[in-house]
Formats: sequence, C-alpha cells, structure tokens
Amino acid sequence: MNKTNPFLRFLIKNPSSYRILKPLLELFNLREKEPYRIWLRFLIDILIDAFGKKRKAVIWMNSMTPTEIAYAFDAIPIMPEVIASIVSNIGLSGRFLSISEGKLSTDTCSFHRCILGLAMDNLLPRPTVIISSSNICDGANKFYHYLSSFYQCPHLFIDVPYDESESSLKYLIFQLEKIFKDLSEILSIPIDQNRIYKIISNSNHSRSLLEEINKMRQTIPSPFPGSEGLSYLLGMNFWSHGSERAIEFYLALKRFIKMMTNFGKAYKNHERMRILWLHQIRPYYQTEIFKILQRHGAMVSFEEGNYLYWPPLEVKNPIGSIAKKILSNIWQGPLEKRLNAISEMIKDYSINGVIHFSPWGCRQGTGASSIIGDFLKENGIPFLLLPGDSIDPNNYSAGQTRTRLEAFLEIVV
Amino acid sequence: MEIFAGIDIGSLTSKALLFGEKGILSYSILPTGANPKIAAMRCLESVLMKSNIKEKDILSIVATGYGRIIIPFKAKEMTEISCHAKGASFLIPGARTVIDIGGQDSKIITLDSNSRVLDFVMNDKCAAGTGRFLEVMAKALEVELNEMGRLSLQSRKSISVSSMCTVFAESEVISLIAKGYEVKEILKGLHEAIARRIYNLSKRLRVKDKIVFTGGVAKNEGIKRFLEKFFGKEILVPEEPQIVGALGAALFARDFYYSNLMGGKNENKKSMFDKI
Repeated sequence: MNKTNPFLRFLIKNPSSYRILKPLLELFNLREKEPYRIWLRFLIDILIDAFGKKRKAVIWMNSMTPTEIAYAFDAIPIMPEVIASIVSNIGLSGRFLSISEGKLSTDTCSFHRCILGLAMDNLLPRPTVIISSSNICDGANKFYHYLSSFYQCPHLFIDVPYDESESSLKYLIFQLEKIFKDLSEILSIPIDQNRIYKIISNSNHSRSLLEEINKMRQTIPSPFPGSEGLSYLLGMNFWSHGSERAIEFYLALKRFIKMMTNFGKAYKNHERMRILWLHQIRPYYQTEIFKILQRHGAMVSFEEGNYLYWPPLEVKNPIGSIAKKILSNIWQGPLEKRLNAISEMIKDYSINGVIHFSPWGCRQGTGASSIIGDFLKENGIPFLLLPGDSIDPNNYSAGQTRTRLEAFLEIVV
Repeated sequence: MEIFAGIDIGSLTSKALLFGEKGILSYSILPTGANPKIAAMRCLESVLMKSNIKEKDILSIVATGYGRIIIPFKAKEMTEISCHAKGASFLIPGARTVIDIGGQDSKIITLDSNSRVLDFVMNDKCAAGTGRFLEVMAKALEVELNEMGRLSLQSRKSISVSSMCTVFAESEVISLIAKGYEVKEILKGLHEAIARRIYNLSKRLRVKDKIVFTGGVAKNEGIKRFLEKFFGKEILVPEEPQIVGALGAALFARDFYYSNLMGGKNENKKSMFDKI
C-alpha cells in the first residue's frame, strides 16, 4: 500500500489545517447535538496543540490508562486507540491496516494494527513519552513498547495486578509514584500539587456528572442511543477525565438527556426491546448493526463501556485513589466482578436482551464471553455473542451478522 | 382454498413451497445463481406451475435465507434460524434440536417444548464444513455431490483430513489421492471431520432429543451417521430436508396472515409482478 502523499501529510500534520477545519465543522454540525459538537471541538483542539510548533508535551496513552496523569503535567494526552476508531469510522482503516500488515499478524488486535499503520505512515503527533497499562489488555504494554522503539521515546508502563488486595494496591501505588517521578524528569516539569488538586477535582466533577447521566439513562424509553454511547461518549470517558472540557461535555450531555426525558421521547421513538451492549467497543466502520436493531425496535439502552466502576478520587490521596480506580475496573480481576456489574446493569436499565460484541483480536473479550453467556442464559436473559471486528471491515460479514442479530431479536420478542 | 408460500433464498439453492389446508402442496428447488431476486421469482413461478396454482391465490408470502431482504414480493421476512425451527417442529413434532447445514453456514438451534427458538450457534467467519465445502471436495475427488454419502459408507477406513479450510482441505485431499488412498476412504474422513466440527459447535448449547438434521447437507447419509456417532443419539432427517426453511417460512406466513386479520391489518398481499 502506498503511503500518504507528502503534501497531504503536511496538511494532516499542520495545526493551521485544524484551525481552518474547526469553524467549518462547527457550521456543518450546527444541527448536531451539543455534546457531539463539544467532542469534535475537543478533538480538534487536541490536534492543534499536538501538532503545534510550540507544543506541549504529548503523552500517548492506551485507553485504560488514567488521563489524569497527563493532565496533571499539563500535557496533551493522545489516545491512539480512539484515533483508530475515528479513522475506521471515516472509512480509512483498511489503508493503514494494509500498511502495518508486514509487521503485525492479522490475528492481532486491529486497533493496534491500525495505529501501527498510522505511525508507519507518519501521520500521528509524535509522542514525547508513551504510558500504557495492562489494565484489561495484556497486549497493550508489549505493543506500546514496540511503538516507543519506533518513535525512540521513553515508555512507562503500568503492570496492573490481578486482584484488588492490599498488596496489589501497594504495588500499583509504587508504580504510579515512580511514573509521576519519571514523567517529571522526562518532561522537566516539577510535580505541582495544586495542579494535581485541580485535576482530581475536575475528574470527580466529571465522574459525578457521568453518574447522574447513567442514572438518567435508566428512563424508559431510552433517552440516548447506545450507538452514540459507544462512540463519542465512550471516547470522552477514555480521553477527557481530569480536563475542564470533560465537565463542559458531561453538562451538555446531561442537558440533552434531561430534555429528551422531559419530552418523554425515546431517541427513535419506537422502543420495543432494551438491549445491553457488552464489551467496551463496537464496530466503528459503517455497518448495518444499529440500523437493524432500530428497525426491529431494539434500543441499546446502555453499554458496559460507560459503566461507572470507580469510586470518587481523593484529593488528599491522588495517587492512591488513581490506583484504586485502575484496580476497580470490572474487567480486571475475577470474572465475578464483571458478572455482578452486568446483573446490576440488567436490573437498572430494565434490559430484555444482551449482545456481547466479541472482536476477533481481543483475547480478553472472547475468553470470557461464553461464561457470561452461560450465566445470563441460566438466569433467563437472552444472550447473543456477536463476533466481529471493531476496526477492520474485511472481518465483517454483513449477511451472517444480520442473521445472527435478527434471529436473536426474534427470540427476544 | 387458503394457500401460503415460503421462499428460502440460500447461497447455493433457492426453495419455494406452497402450504395449504392439507399441508405441503408443492415445492421447488433451483440454484440461486448470481441474482437472488430473479432466483426467488423463478422458484415461485416454478412451484406455481407445478401445482397449477395462480399467484393471486397465495394469501401471504414469507421470505427467509440470505437473500430474504431483497425479495420484493414478501409480506414479511424471518431468519432461516426461526424458519428451520418452525419447519422441523412441524415435520417432526417434539423436535428440540435442529442441525441445519446449508450452502455457506451451519447452525445448531435449540427449541423449547413449545417449539420456540431457545438459542442458536452458527459457524464463525468461514464456510468450512458446509455445503460449499462439500461441493469443492466433490469436485476435487471427481464424485457427484449426491453420491458422496453412499460412497463413504462403503469404506471401513476413515482417512483423517486435518484441515477444515476449504482451500487447504482441497489440496490435502488431492495429495491423499496422490498417496494412493481410495476416494471412499477420504470421503469418510471428510464426513467425520465435518460431523466433529458440528458436534464441537453444539457444545455451546444444551442439546436435547429429538435432534433433526435439515438443509441440503442432511441428504448426505455419511455425515448423518457420524453425527449419530458423536451425539450418541438418533438423528432424524425429514423426507426432503432441503425445504424445511421454506416450510417454516410458509407456516410463518400463515401465522402472520391470521394475526394481521385479527389485528385488522392488511399487510399480507404483495405480488411479485407488481414489484419486479
């Protein structure tokens, strides 16, 4: 596959392109929801900062690494996995998957394959440092270590222990303290307690708004579509906690959901079934999945990826509470944690059926899916295991997916 | 007379079936070819001609199979999973498990005591062990598709075929012939491998008696025997297993027709000549 034309690359990596694009996007999306427009602004501003000449430090982080760490150093967090989902959404992932094919097996995570393709095509903002964690994704640390050698930049990794024991917490705190110290040295920025205080407060404010939003989404009919919950809401959950833009986003989303709830409207008005979507992600390229669901009156009322699992952070114990946040992830540790959370979501969101999206390259997701399926079926909850791929459209079979979905919906009805 | 039609547009063959008060009136099976829409029309025309029934006499049509979405003259569409379950329960009352091996996929469906679909599994990603797989193997071994089962039963020995990928299995089979193995021995090995694959897939479900085998591949006695061996149970095959999906569709057409009449709706009638 040919790499991107140098002039096009120059435009993609030029902050002025995004300064021009920003008002155009605003104009083009005037009729879109306010939270979606904030998400676009958030992305564009990040790209302007990350590609700017007098740029701040750019910290690449995988999606389960707490962004509070980057914001604490006034750095720009870049979430390559979210970027890969956007690239797939605009129909360009095939190009970058093809570029990386000589380096990574097609059996591995397509997020990682797409990111590597983007990196090999030199289209991403260059990282000052990369931080990754093994939280729910064992492959992440190895992949990001490879990327750090590719960019010749430092790689700091968080080895997340399995359980939530006292010793695990101590081990994690030890690592996070070292990461703060190392970052301070690498970036030549002293650790600023006042700034950390501010970031923790911002993060808690976002968290409490997300808690309210999740509560409001329990309304019948569903006031917010899961297809969007799995795209920009999830993107903000991964990328924005600790920032002020996150608060602006969640406030706008809360206003939107409140408006929909007050009008007693479902997002598309004909909700016959309420679906819970399991796994953090969905296919991001164009598919008919959500159209099929909608046509049958099935609404994804909630998504596991937006489940609020962590306790409020503690201003007086920022590192300890970030460690607790990491460890409390429902995908981390014994599967009972996830099963309990799924049961809670089924009850809270009055769920009629559960769809577990299972990307081919995601070992964590596929490994647990059949046990979750058995657990739900034993409890009388219709369950569909939907294998597929989030990024690679070549792994999508429209006919099979339609048959699986429709047969499942015929069972739920 | 009240007549209902079911049309099952599969990846390899299209089936149309007319159902009346006395049961199945007539059916027809034709290759789908490149245009499923035309295949559906031809299939329906063929079954109408066979039974000397006019299209206007059909009260409602339900479409199923992979081509179901592009059939314009249907009143409704249902997945082949629900249709095979419904058709199998009609032909073999008390059926609790349906194994359907079609042209491009295989499905195992479990039913409750009221013949409602409880759960199902499908093959993932590739068409290994399906009708298409058998077609390719038949060609590689230079035997007729409908002779494969009978031939394999003549062999005492089963030659293991390790690859289930259609492309790799084809070259493996050719190399086995080159090594001097008999065609019937290789066929037996292929059937064993397909049946084992289905059996392994079924482990995700709670398979109960009676087990009904449907779809074109159910005509292959060799695969049926191996399925019986792996499941340790009798596998029941309807007289014409290929039309079970179309039968289920026709039965759904009847159900929808009456439920629409009860609900005062008039969504039953669509003509193929109006739409194509």
